[in-house]
Amino acid sequence: MNARIWMTALVASSVGLTALAHSGATGVMKERMDAMGEMGDEMKRLAPMMRGQTEYDPDVVRNAADTMIGHAGAQMTELFPEGSNGEPSEALDTIWEDWEEFTALAEALRTTAEGMKLAADNGLAGLGDIPGGGMMGAGQGMMGTGQTMMGGNQPMMGAGQGMMGGAPTQMMTTEMLAEMPVNAGFMAVTQTCSACHQKFRAEEN
Amino acid sequence: MSRLIRSLLLVGVLGLASVAGLMAWPIGVEPPSALEELEGNVDRGAYLARASGCIACHSDFEAGGAPLAGGAPLETDFGTFYPPNLTTDPDHGMGAWTISDFARAVRQGVSPEGDPYYPTFTYPFYAGFTDQDIADLWAAFQTVPAVPEPSPEHEAGFPFDQRWGLKLWRAAYLSEPDTVPEAGRSEAWNRGKWLVRGAAHCGACHTDRNLAGARIASRIFAGNDSLPGGKSAPSILPADLQGGGWDVDSLAYALRTGITPEGDVFGGSMAEVVNYGTAFLSDADLAAMATYIMDNDLSEN
Repeated sequence: MNARIWMTALVASSVGLTALAHSGATGVMKERMDAMGEMGDEMKRLAPMMRGQTEYDPDVVRNAADTMIGHAGAQMTELFPEGSNGEPSEALDTIWEDWEEFTALAEALRTTAEGMKLAADNGLAGLGDIPGGGMMGAGQGMMGTGQTMMGGNQPMMGAGQGMMGGAPTQMMTTEMLAEMPVNAGFMAVTQTCSACHQKFRAEEN
Repeated sequence: MSRLIRSLLLVGVLGLASVAGLMAWPIGVEPPSALEELEGNVDRGAYLARASGCIACHSDFEAGGAPLAGGAPLETDFGTFYPPNLTTDPDHGMGAWTISDFARAVRQGVSPEGDPYYPTFTYPFYAGFTDQDIADLWAAFQTVPAVPEPSPEHEAGFPFDQRWGLKLWRAAYLSEPDTVPEAGRSEAWNRGKWLVRGAAHCGACHTDRNLAGARIASRIFAGNDSLPGGKSAPSILPADLQGGGWDVDSLAYALRTGITPEGDVFGGSMAEVVNYGTAFLSDADLAAMATYIMDNDLSEN
């Protein structure tokens, strides 16, 4: 069997799985699940590339960023009309209780994805995720989860590290990310996903 | 006096005596005095604190809290518990503690006053920490700026507000974590076992608990649907993870970044575990944890 057939089979089976997972959802619920699914597929493509396991291709990064930008900001939030959760949705009531932060994170998805897009031609900095590198440490400065710059191996709370806050203002701007290796933008996007899922999505079983 | 009343009185007196006995029952043992002479390594202690989840649980970054100044409340079937302030503040944190107090708290779950801590504090996983581990942690905690914020009192309903009852709990359920290296396994696997079964306390969430809130040994890592706040944690048994598309590499990567093999990004408590904990661990340690988690015989229990 050649590679194309394998790919087709793979895609077909993952489409099947997605459909299964989202069965029962209709209207905005289905729309946003599909949007999340599309972004997940992009993440799945990007992750091995950012780790140097697949060949780096700036076009793939830009396409992925466009998918995310297309689902960010108002395009995201308009799919969450008040009270639109319940089976089979994983959306939590906290979305409407803290609509401001939800909106800020949806917007952060745009700014970080735009940063990643602009950084596509900068290429990777060494190997993907660098512990202790600070710049890309996953603990880095993100939107509303209250973290700021903390490299991998720094003392947990040494003075002057600025771990305070929780204000989304501490996140990196599109312009900053545009100047950095692309994996910084990728991690910033990931942190946005994480911050939003942490607060606004129910955990799966 | 009728026989009935006499019996009831007897029961009552015996009951009171047992409670008084329980209240007076000393728990915990005095840590070795050599502890005070050990020199702690701040970096190593901070690393261990990350691995052990101290920062994730005892900080409420969501609410804008300072590191280790007290965590978000845990709503359980037994009441609402507030991870206390662990900063160097002498009145509200650990500023007035000695290293022996600290050692007893971390390894034995006993407060400086001799009271048992609630099992929401994951001290049973830390029982195997060496004196040097304790000295390192203690050194790291000394670098935490004092935050003069009182820790709210736990809101446990009767009878769970009676701390002496926890002594019974300890007698019934407290056991040493199995972090013992196994012969014939690689160094990485054994390091992974030490982290997973000990410091990183994966079982605190991924193992089901009985009605008394104690982990059910036979259900280790098989998942838990009744976590604080009505949350749940999936099975992390090797077969289930493999079935979900995980392998050692993708698991180590997820512990660093939160990104799953499906392209999803962890949410809920696992996002906190990663963002405030495992993301800071070395590649070697994450690989070690993943190696152990993907290859063990726990499901045979």
